Amino acid sequence: MRAGFALLILLLATAFAGAAETPIPAAPARWVTDDAGFMSVDAARSLDRKLEAFALATGRQFIVYIGKTTGGPPIEDWAVRAFEAWKVGRKGLDDGIALFIMADDHQVRIEVGYGLEPQVTDLAASRIIREIIVPRIQAGDHDGAVTAGAAAIAHLLSPEGIGQSDGTSRQPRGPGTQGRSFSIWQLIVFGIIGVLFLILLVTHPSLAIFLLMNVLSSGRRRGSDNSGGWGGGGFGGGGGRSGGGGASGSW
Amino acid sequence: MMRNKTGLLIAGAFVLVVLVLGLSVAGSYNGLVRLDQATEAQWAQVENTYQRRADLVPNLVETVKGASNFEKETLTAVTEARAKVGQVTSGAVQNVVNDPAAFERFQQAQDQLSSALSRLMVVVERYPDLKATQNFRDLQSQLEGTENRIAVERMRFNEAAQAFNTKRNSFPTVLVAGLFGERFQSKAYFKSQPGAEKAPAVKF
Repeated sequence: MRAGFALLILLLATAFAGAAETPIPAAPARWVTDDAGFMSVDAARSLDRKLEAFALATGRQFIVYIGKTTGGPPIEDWAVRAFEAWKVGRKGLDDGIALFIMADDHQVRIEVGYGLEPQVTDLAASRIIREIIVPRIQAGDHDGAVTAGAAAIAHLLSPEGIGQSDGTSRQPRGPGTQGRSFSIWQLIVFGIIGVLFLILLVTHPSLAIFLLMNVLSSGRRRGSDNSGGWGGGGFGGGGGRSGGGGASGSW
Repeated sequence: MMRNKTGLLIAGAFVLVVLVLGLSVAGSYNGLVRLDQATEAQWAQVENTYQRRADLVPNLVETVKGASNFEKETLTAVTEARAKVGQVTSGAVQNVVNDPAAFERFQQAQDQLSSALSRLMVVVERYPDLKATQNFRDLQSQLEGTENRIAVERMRFNEAAQAFNTKRNSFPTVLVAGLFGERFQSKAYFKSQPGAEKAPAVKF
């Protein structure tokens, strides 16, 4: 904000022209990653649980990444490439969002996936940085800056925001768990399928086994698809893209 | 009987060759169409972001005008550059992506608006009262966000155009592209603005 607008444009133009060399770190495994020792471990862990619960409840991936430096390029450029490399957000929906802080560069950026642009406008993101994050960092309250900033962003995404649930109280797993008791008709259908399968097993054993394997493996595949978070799972990107939406600031 | 068999064999080989050729031409053609469409789609993104910026300008000019005795020339330059952009993007030029001259004009007009806007932002530094207003700061953050989007979408356009050009100019696709003449022309790239390759001395 302090720097001239002209410089920003120049920096962006230069950066995008020849920035491909600066490596992006591997995708983080957690929702909150602090490689710079910027926050206290407790605060980071607590926010991580909240963001995990947030992703479970809304499906939207919101990650926080704190590093030391981008290694040269402006944070805008670094952020859009990291966002793409880590595939923040669900495939096809692009509904991910990331808060990047570069501790040594004194830079902060909110990067918004295409799918969340209506909820998090550049203006809203900029206000969160200007009014919530930067003043707290300047006052030395790093934990508060990240936590309050993340809460403000989450509030834009869903009215409940984050904070009610800290990830320990999980709701039962939706469709899979309900309806465990079968009606009489379902039992009859299963019975017929079972008999047909037995006949097939006698007449065409290899075909029957092939079918059985197919059904089982597709079931397992489906299971692993929505494992995002169950059993203490961390962040795993889906394929979100961003178009440079969001805002940045410095302190 | 013998000759008949040889003839049949030759005819069969001929059909086979034609079939293989036809299939590979079709494959090349489809590949080109796919990349061509990707470039067009990315171009639409570029236009969107530029349009977004153009839409911000009247508001910005209005806000800045409100400040007492703001430098007239700077504002005029922005307004004129904005009008020029309007001409270049209005329906008159349809096929910008496949017309290098039109592409050049488009880029020139947009770059002119970029530099007029950045000059405006530099001049604003001399008006602390204006700079401090919420309205101006909001506009500034929107403009910054839009400039960033433009940079991103331009970069992606260049990538898409490069993918198309590489395919179009490599053998044997280049022969297929030649068959269709105007349909598959090499795409132009966005070039960074003159002077942009020099890193500015001032640090954030």
